[in-house]
Amino acid sequence: MFHLIMRGLVDHGRAPHYAEMAPALGLSVEDGRRLLRDVMQAYPIGWLHPDTDYVASFPPLNNLPTQYRVTVGGEQKWFAQCGFEATSVTWLFPGATVRIDAPCLDCGDPMRIEMRDGELVAVDPPGLVGHLNWGFGPSRGRPPFL
Amino acid sequence: MNLFRSEDHARRWAQFNPASEAGLGFIPVPDLVAFFGTETRRHMLDPDYLSTWYPKRAAERRAVLERIGKTTPFWLGTPAPS
Repeated sequence: MFHLIMRGLVDHGRAPHYAEMAPALGLSVEDGRRLLRDVMQAYPIGWLHPDTDYVASFPPLNNLPTQYRVTVGGEQKWFAQCGFEATSVTWLFPGATVRIDAPCLDCGDPMRIEMRDGELVAVDPPGLVGHLNWGFGPSRGRPPFL
Repeated sequence: MNLFRSEDHARRWAQFNPASEAGLGFIPVPDLVAFFGTETRRHMLDPDYLSTWYPKRAAERRAVLERIGKTTPFWLGTPAPS
């Protein structure tokens, strides 16, 4: 199921619902729902929307739009989970130029990173920086609010 | 975990956590690319990613963090010394 979700996000820009994946896995819909919960427990860097069985975040991509817009081949239909994970999206699109666009949370002015096969192609502005507001581990904030 | 136009922009952010200053929460983009470009990341589309590659992720991340000098509890996710 992990692979179906990741593949669905890459191919279509959205995570398939468990009811769509269950038949492909030879499962009942309810068993598909349970498996989704197991997958998310095994992949705790992603999460379901609170109190639902909807995939919200499945890093490096997000099923719920974020400010980190991802464009591949001139098409913008993906979102990165966060600014850090955005630099990992390149590995989902081998051989392609992946462009990340986001507004700065301070001033709203645009920022852009372009990568290809893990290499930086462009960074604008050049002084662009990553910032970890809450530490990893015990000091980390609630997941949906990274 | 956000990107900003510069460190000063991050500091002006309304939700900036002062503890991230003490924890040196900034990371240059090339280091970020190294941090999120480890070997396991290259296998996220493999059918066995969750069972074979994901379990290796934590050790890999720690190795990169040590290489780029991010060894505080803030980055390593370890409890802060009392």
